Amino acid sequence: MVRRVFALILVLALLAPAVMAQDEEVLQMGFWEECEDPAGLPETVTIGAIFAQSGAASVYGISQSQAVDLAVAEINESAYLGEGVTLEVIYADSAGDKEQAIAAMTKLVEEDGVVAVLGPTLSSEAFSADPIAQENGVPVMGVSNTAAGITDMGDFVFRDSLPESAVIPGTIAQATEALSLTQVAVLYGNDDDFTISGYDVFVEALEANYVEILAEATFAKGDVDFSAQLTTLLGTNPEALVISALAAEATQIIVQARQAGYTGPIIGGNGLNSPAVLTNSGEASEGVIVGAAWNIASPEALSTAFIEAYSAAYEDAKPDQFAAQAYTGAWLMATAIRCGDSAESLAIRDSLAEIVDFPSPLGMFSFDEDRNPVHTPVVQIATGGAFAVLGAEMTEE
Amino acid sequence: MDTFFQQLINALSLGAIYGLFALGYALVFSVLGVLNLAHSAVFMTGAFFGLVLIDKLQLPLIVAFPLAMIGAGLVSVALEFIAFRPLRRRGAPRISQLISSIGASILLVSITQLLFQNLYGGTDAYFPRGLVPDEPILLGGLRIVPIRVIILAAALGMMVILQAVVSRTQIGQHMRAVAFNQRVAALLGINVGRVFVTTFFIAGALGGAAGMLYGLVFLNVSPFIGSDVALVGLTAIVLGGLGSINGAVLGGILVAALQTFSTAIGGSSYRNIVVFGILFLLLLVRPQGLLGQPDSTRT
Amino acid sequence: MDSIIEFVITLLKPLGVTEPVFQFMLVSAILGLSIYLTLYTGMFSLASAGFMAIGAYFGVAATQFWHLPLGLGLIIGMLAAGLIAIPIGLPVLRLKDIYLAIATIGFGEVVNVVILNFDDVVAAILTAVQGERVRFRLIEGARGIKNIPRLTETQYLVFFLIIVGFFITRLHRSRFGRSMAAIRDDERAAANMGINVTYVKNIVFILSAMLAAAAGVFSAHLTRIITPDAYGFDRAVDILSFAVLGGTSTWVGSIVGGMTLTALPETLRAVNQYRGVFTGMVLLAVILFLPGGLVDPAGLRATIRRVRSRLRRAAESQGAT
Repeated sequence: MVRRVFALILVLALLAPAVMAQDEEVLQMGFWEECEDPAGLPETVTIGAIFAQSGAASVYGISQSQAVDLAVAEINESAYLGEGVTLEVIYADSAGDKEQAIAAMTKLVEEDGVVAVLGPTLSSEAFSADPIAQENGVPVMGVSNTAAGITDMGDFVFRDSLPESAVIPGTIAQATEALSLTQVAVLYGNDDDFTISGYDVFVEALEANYVEILAEATFAKGDVDFSAQLTTLLGTNPEALVISALAAEATQIIVQARQAGYTGPIIGGNGLNSPAVLTNSGEASEGVIVGAAWNIASPEALSTAFIEAYSAAYEDAKPDQFAAQAYTGAWLMATAIRCGDSAESLAIRDSLAEIVDFPSPLGMFSFDEDRNPVHTPVVQIATGGAFAVLGAEMTEE
Repeated sequence: MDTFFQQLINALSLGAIYGLFALGYALVFSVLGVLNLAHSAVFMTGAFFGLVLIDKLQLPLIVAFPLAMIGAGLVSVALEFIAFRPLRRRGAPRISQLISSIGASILLVSITQLLFQNLYGGTDAYFPRGLVPDEPILLGGLRIVPIRVIILAAALGMMVILQAVVSRTQIGQHMRAVAFNQRVAALLGINVGRVFVTTFFIAGALGGAAGMLYGLVFLNVSPFIGSDVALVGLTAIVLGGLGSINGAVLGGILVAALQTFSTAIGGSSYRNIVVFGILFLLLLVRPQGLLGQPDSTRT
Repeated sequence: MDSIIEFVITLLKPLGVTEPVFQFMLVSAILGLSIYLTLYTGMFSLASAGFMAIGAYFGVAATQFWHLPLGLGLIIGMLAAGLIAIPIGLPVLRLKDIYLAIATIGFGEVVNVVILNFDDVVAAILTAVQGERVRFRLIEGARGIKNIPRLTETQYLVFFLIIVGFFITRLHRSRFGRSMAAIRDDERAAANMGINVTYVKNIVFILSAMLAAAAGVFSAHLTRIITPDAYGFDRAVDILSFAVLGGTSTWVGSIVGGMTLTALPETLRAVNQYRGVFTGMVLLAVILFLPGGLVDPAGLRATIRRVRSRLRRAAESQGAT
């Protein structure tokens, strides 16, 4: 009897680790099942990355570089490209300047002979530099380019960053329904291509949802005082305030709108999607609705894993959307190399174009036939100083 | 009418910051006769010091503010020794000193960028909110945000102190003498070099104070906030009259008022045209500014 | 010509210069000459950035909206800038020194605002006329005009520079050129000697505007997208730095200064983080230690004389003992 009990305990003890392991499902990023381990790759595969690592846009570029570093480390550690194959990245700083972006792209493509390029950070840099990649038959993937017409430059130009035209319509549609909106006021920056393009899409989306724009006002980048515009706009008694702004201005607008006595909802685009906006506007942020490609409160399992890995690697820093998209971009590039089993630029391009339903921190990701990203954007509302998902809407490119 | 007063308060608090900042330009110009285009970088350094002292070293505002001012003053003095004194010794034309200050400004901004990146992992940082109360108080039909009133008071206070220093103290007397005529002042036994250093220190401290106030009310600090105010500062002193200390303050308030009211009426896009339009007109009609001496502006 | 250009680029390759970088260096050279002309006449004008924008936008309008070849676009851009320079110059050039500088900076800012708001203003006018809301988009404001073809070739830039260099050399030897120098040295004396100061200054201002505009047209067809923020205060300061670094005593100096400052960020890619620091230090060092700039024949002669005389004295004292 004792011997049987003992045997049972022994068996259970041996089985226990296996049983416990079942509960922790470790999520692995990448097409491990979908594509076989590549066999035809050289020892080193070199890609380039053009980010604004200095200058005014470096707040994005540094975030992107760190994310790509994290992704590449994971890719190499897990032998995603096969045993003994290393993915290498050559970084080039564009400093937010079109001329330097051109120089960087020329150097990477012609001198360093990279097989693919990530970036550049700004859409205006992309319009300058991407044609060089196109002409040289090197695939280039923007990980933060949101302007209209990026992929029109050629079939070697991709992007994984949802343009505002994919995010804003869903945001407005959901907000209109949730808040029963009929009249709004619009405040936008008219000296930055990101905010003015966002404004264009907001106007279209509002009209499509039969929402009347009572008044519009503009501001400039670097403005800190919006009391004049807010006084005018809020005087029309809008049901909601729609703003197209970058993070620094958005913070001030939110704070000053509340200081002016406005208690209604504030709706914004990608530019507001930064933890800094919430932290720095404090209680004023209550009720702010933001539509974005990715948010730190996203329920996606891979997103949580990414946030943990990023925080662990970078001293508890929280990643932002730029980091999430850059990280995904690096994994997409590696996937194209893996699945195409080739380090030739043309093969990588073809393989990249075929990527469908790739699980990522951004959600289930695919490229459409124009090489633009397709995944579900997230609309959230700020409550109690943190973002909560308002809902998600599938949009088509 | 309520709106008008509301805008007026906004304009005044913004104008106080501009005026404080422009004072630095005016001081250096009146005593040394040169325009220190690195002053906007000193402004930014003041905000940066304040940010680091409060955010990283956890010092209270009361301690951090004067420390940041002193720090900015010292940076300004360093500028005098690096960018101005050697050229002055050599008798180089004023334009060289101007360009030298531009070079120093570029250097200062670049170094601060590196520091920013090391400390904050990027070039964007924010002052913590709530250091100065910013919940609006209802007064009549107006919403008054305490921080703006405090800024107005702080700036005015510093200007009053400056006025007292300039007109009542010995060093102020020396500064005025040197401003009037350097050679005569030297003959009278005044240590001109020391006066220069003092002037740069005070100008830098004021610029740094303006930077901190800017950071406190607008929260966002980056290495590039200097270039936003640089043009405003130049416009303010030209409006007020180069070299006139009161003119600088008046000019700062005027520019802020022009900006605020033109934004209220026509939207912020045109405010630069309004400001520069007024500047052009003034330069054509009365180039010495509102409070300046009509002398060496025309050829 | 092609092979010579290729040879030069190959020589510069170790410095990080590739063909696009070389092309931008040549554009900077043209900008350096633009500001050289005004500095040579004693005018501290920072208007080149504004005129560069005017040239860029008019040039792009010519090639993209009216489908003209680059050459015509160049002429149209330069003409537009020259014509605009007349009403700006007349009132503003009476000012001197820092006042002129501030006025010309203001001009640049006004150009910026016009570009940003042109579409909105036209839309507002059309809306008022037609009674219903009209949306107008032509020059796209902050969005920029994109998809500009890369029409600029290195040969065009080199030819243009050669022609301009030739022109400036002739100018220096002419009476007009001597008037420019006279005005720089002492404006009142020049006026007393019978020189029509206003005329000379305005012509120089117009020429400078046209050069800056040409640089704008060329550059627009290299960067393939133009946005108004590329032509602001920072650009004006950059252009000033070209002349200062290179030296204003000869026109070659501005070319050298422009090309050096444009190549420097590329050369310094190895120390990427510190590029800005280095650029500031280079500028400061040149001002402090090389007041005549990099290309300073007069200064060089003076230094050689000094060194020679010191060597001579050392030799003499040696011989004496």
